[in-house]
Amino acid sequence: MPVTALIADDEAPLRDQLRARLLDAWPELRIVAEAANGAEALELAARHKPDIAFLDIRMPGMGGIDAARQLYNRCHIVFATAYDQYALDAFEQGAIDYLLKPVTPARLQTTCERLRARLDRAPQDIGAQLAELGDLLKGGAALKPNYLRWIQAQVGGSLRMVSTREILYFQADDKYTCVQTATTELLIRKTLKELADELDPDEFWRIHRSTLVRVDAIAEVYRDLRGRQMLRLRNFAGELEVSRNHGHLFQQM
Amino acid sequence: MVAAPINRALDFVREAVSEASALWWSFFDWLALVEWRKLYVTWFLAFVFGISFQLTEPAVWFILLSFGVKVLAGGKRRAELTAMEASDKANVATLERRLMEAQMAALQAQVEPHFLFNTLALIGQLIETDPKEAARVHAHLIEYLRSSLPQMRSSGGGTLGKQVELSRAYLAIMQARMKERLAVRFEVPDFLGSSPFPPMMLQTLIENSIKHGLEPKVAGGTITVRAHVEGATLHVDVCDDGVGIDLHADEGVGLANIRERLALLYGKNAELVIEMPPSGGACASIRLPYRMTEFD
Repeated sequence: MPVTALIADDEAPLRDQLRARLLDAWPELRIVAEAANGAEALELAARHKPDIAFLDIRMPGMGGIDAARQLYNRCHIVFATAYDQYALDAFEQGAIDYLLKPVTPARLQTTCERLRARLDRAPQDIGAQLAELGDLLKGGAALKPNYLRWIQAQVGGSLRMVSTREILYFQADDKYTCVQTATTELLIRKTLKELADELDPDEFWRIHRSTLVRVDAIAEVYRDLRGRQMLRLRNFAGELEVSRNHGHLFQQM
Repeated sequence: MVAAPINRALDFVREAVSEASALWWSFFDWLALVEWRKLYVTWFLAFVFGISFQLTEPAVWFILLSFGVKVLAGGKRRAELTAMEASDKANVATLERRLMEAQMAALQAQVEPHFLFNTLALIGQLIETDPKEAARVHAHLIEYLRSSLPQMRSSGGGTLGKQVELSRAYLAIMQARMKERLAVRFEVPDFLGSSPFPPMMLQTLIENSIKHGLEPKVAGGTITVRAHVEGATLHVDVCDDGVGIDLHADEGVGLANIRERLALLYGKNAELVIEMPPSGGACASIRLPYRMTEFD
């Protein structure tokens, strides 16, 4: 029975290239399917049950690493990438096969020989390495909780997107919440309570029943003539009052 | 209606008080900074004035008072004023430093290695299958590198025309790679080409659109670069019909850097507006004061 393979890469020219080079390096190999993204690769792999899957790491929708996590105990995996520092470091250390694009015939020859030697054995268990690699490529994003980073506000007929980095403070205002940036003031329907739950608590502090302030925007804290704690903000003329309940946030070190 | 005259009277008193205090503080500052020699002359004149108009007593009071203030508070006030001036200077220095830093960051805005390697891989493949297309992509890559690598960037890159050219080269490469998954539309009138526009901002918006909007979308989509003048404001928009903005994803250094540079270059007269159109995707718009040419 001939050995079968699947190729997944979102860029058609690079699929063509790999197919052509494989044909030279391993004439008996039959390429049974070609996919343009991870989801398609899974679907085709389920149908054709290839012995080997060549997967590009970066593909739209589902990438190569995620696809591999579902495939690695059914077929041998070889990754292909043009440049991915994290991935390459991980590959050098681990036992995962990989190809650097553009694929050179000599390098492909080596990979094919390794694959031939392994084919009669069951695919390696690379689950743990893949999980680690997946986290690395996401830049550790999976570890951090998902805080709200954009505020949507209706301005005229369009939906304005305001990055939390732009915002100086939120202030409760009747039914609305007022969003203050250095240049504009916008109204949104989300309540302060909802915002406080969804925003990063290290990015925004509650300083008053009706005020959430961006910590990075604070320039200084002082007491006014009536003894209230007040905040002055960077590049902004107004002042904000700190209520007694939240005064502990600004105690001296 | 009785309240109105009272309010008016109160307003008047409030104004008078603030005026008087302003006068007092300017007198105070003058006193703190004036040389003793000049102060003696002033006292002498005040004394002569007092005698000749039978106002000796107020003149003596004035002399005693100003002597007291000068001796007791003059030094402190003078120190305060010098400190204020110094901090003003420091503020200007800080601003200049921040502008420099932001410009450096823009200069160093790097060509992504991932982009470079993928493009080179593509050219390698095309040389075998379609040499003409290979030559075309190769030329675009050179054009792109010439205007985006800091060492090679020529000084005249600060016009909208130059920035659009750079973007065309970049998008042509991305089209060769993404094929039918990427459509590109430019709606930039020729007459805006000479208008000054800061380098690498348009490029950052386009890269963001591709990376976060279209590349993750399996079907791909269209990117539209549009420029127009509204009143005295130049709008440069980059719109896509991709997956839109993930509300939980950080905006990234690219956009923050654009915003910082706009603030330093134009103060409150420029802004970066990001919107999600009802039809989907995302739109980023840079708005800044319009000038026809750099020397305008």
